[in-house]
Amino acid sequence: MTAATNLLAFLGLVATLVVVWRQSWRGRLASFVAQSVMLAALAAVIGLLARRPALLLVAVLVVVFKAWLIPRILARIAAGMPRRSGGPGRSVGVSVLLAGALVVAAYAVLLPVTRDASLPTAGAVPLAFAMALIGLYLCVTGRDALGHILGFLVFENGIFGLALLATYGLPGLIEAGVFLDVLVLVLLMEGVVVQMRREHDSVEVDRLRELRG
Amino acid sequence: MILLALLCIPLAGAGLLAMAPPRTARALHGVTALLTAVTAVALAAAVARPVTVTALDGLLRTDALSGWLTGLIGLVAGLAAIEAPRYVAPATPRPFYPLFHLFVFTMLLAVNTDDVGVLWVAVEGTTLASMFLVNFERTRASLEASYKYLLICSVGIALAFIGTVLMYFADVQQFGDLPHALRWTSLIDVAPALPARVIELAFVFIVVGYGTKAGLAPMHTWLPDAHSEAPAPVSALMSGVLLSVGVYAVVRFKAVVDVAAGPLFAQHILLGLGLLSMALAAAFLWTPTNYKRMLAYSSVEHIGIVCLGLGFGGRWGLTGAVLHIANHALAKSVLFLVAGRIRAAYGSTAIADVRGLLAVMPRTGRVFLAAMLALMGVPPFGLFVSEVMIFGAGFQAGLGSVAVVGLVLLVAAFGGLLRALHLMLYGDAPVPRPIEGLGRSPALPFAAALLLLILTGLVWPPGLAATLDRIAQVLR
Repeated sequence: MTAATNLLAFLGLVATLVVVWRQSWRGRLASFVAQSVMLAALAAVIGLLARRPALLLVAVLVVVFKAWLIPRILARIAAGMPRRSGGPGRSVGVSVLLAGALVVAAYAVLLPVTRDASLPTAGAVPLAFAMALIGLYLCVTGRDALGHILGFLVFENGIFGLALLATYGLPGLIEAGVFLDVLVLVLLMEGVVVQMRREHDSVEVDRLRELRG
Repeated sequence: MILLALLCIPLAGAGLLAMAPPRTARALHGVTALLTAVTAVALAAAVARPVTVTALDGLLRTDALSGWLTGLIGLVAGLAAIEAPRYVAPATPRPFYPLFHLFVFTMLLAVNTDDVGVLWVAVEGTTLASMFLVNFERTRASLEASYKYLLICSVGIALAFIGTVLMYFADVQQFGDLPHALRWTSLIDVAPALPARVIELAFVFIVVGYGTKAGLAPMHTWLPDAHSEAPAPVSALMSGVLLSVGVYAVVRFKAVVDVAAGPLFAQHILLGLGLLSMALAAAFLWTPTNYKRMLAYSSVEHIGIVCLGLGFGGRWGLTGAVLHIANHALAKSVLFLVAGRIRAAYGSTAIADVRGLLAVMPRTGRVFLAAMLALMGVPPFGLFVSEVMIFGAGFQAGLGSVAVVGLVLLVAAFGGLLRALHLMLYGDAPVPRPIEGLGRSPALPFAAALLLLILTGLVWPPGLAATLDRIAQVLR
């Protein structure tokens, strides 16, 4: 159990790092899908080995929402975008290096949690937290709306993984609320991007500079 | 029963308004707002006696603190609803009215649930419901404001989710997978046995997350934009009660942390963030240029004051903070609604463009003056009393230096607000003759809100002191 969850969480982190590393939008989207699939597999494995059938349903939902529906919406938003866009405003090398530093930071911050944890999955908790931190980093440094959304989704995936590994997932009602939230958020973002394009002919956030002070 | 009704009314109203033909929308909006306000105040009155109202197997729960916020949301929403038709074109009442009531519903759900997971979903729901309302005018500036609002608050609230997960982790780790492990009441019960370090870590995420919604510096950056670009009724709701809902969430978790890790941890964080918020707000308020942004920064200042009260703690600190939330909500919602009328008359939100308000719009100007004086903490208005309680609690708790810094910042903000008020009220009017926008009867709700503020400042109505004490009991 521990080996399987560690491996899947590690693969999820690798997919997250690939999101940082890739430059083309399609490559980044594909890596996000890969990250989501890893998390779905994680949920399924924990569901099977810890005998939590509800988690199998969660795994299916993750695949449907995060590996299929949301990427489709994102692709729709991205249609007509320049091919290279949206990465953090730094060179790839620096970004990957920073992401590595965030992995170390994740282990440091979560020391009180891993020290107390007794679940077999606890060792992988910092890996999921690192995914969340890297997503946050992508979200904060993204140069356009798509970069922000993608960063946020990677962030959200990391938090999902954290909840899964630390507590075997939250009660079903809450998980359902979270899925709905993410979907509505992405749809709202699509609306914003459509309007942004009409107003500014671009989705670069640098154009948003009306409000100051 | 009343608790279920409270949540069903705005939700059903929103649903009906989403389908109703445009000509019935305004009446339906009025009925929904009125019923919501009446039910909210009734529920607040019900829990003012020593009882707790629950529904759905304890998932919904209203204690004294929830009741206080519920009554406040009902009143402010009612006030905002009265002004809302001025901002909605009669032909296209969608999506404003449905989203308005959905927004109110999410806030009511947030303060009336016992489950911290549902609390999280509801607070995230407030962002999703109000985002379109911020961008209602669909200008470049409002687009930018709504984008920032959506992104910053979503990230913030996701951080609060990490905090919630860590709380759940600590609970499950100690006590196994209990059915109600995420209930606040069970968290409080088991808090003495929870691992202090994990709870502290969780609280940091909670404060940053819900603090973003509350407009605490340095997570406040969305607030001035969203408050200034949203239509006035939405600004009033956001500033009056949405920020209070954020504070409410922090306060609930503070109670858990205080038991699990001792009171000093949360105290230091709240005092630090409170002072920082006041300092940032005072720096802006010293030379404001836009009166809606000025009101928005003043909200950051007052949320900072509330945090100081919660940080100082003790009977005076806690009751002062709770009273201050209500006082600020009433004063600020009146101000935002009046600011909407000023903007409609002058066609600008720049302070430099608004001159001779008392001559141009005598009645509006007088309401604006009175509400501004209330906001600045001038007696006989309630904000004076709650500020005295909060800073008094600081000296009582032996934190005199913190209280003194807070008072200096308060005076700085006072000076800036006074200057802006003077510039707007007097001077040569840009238009030759008076254009009064505020009739006698539309002025009544404003007068009622100001009267409530004088009540909390001069003569506390019977039962108020007991209610505040019971809320302080919940928090301790």
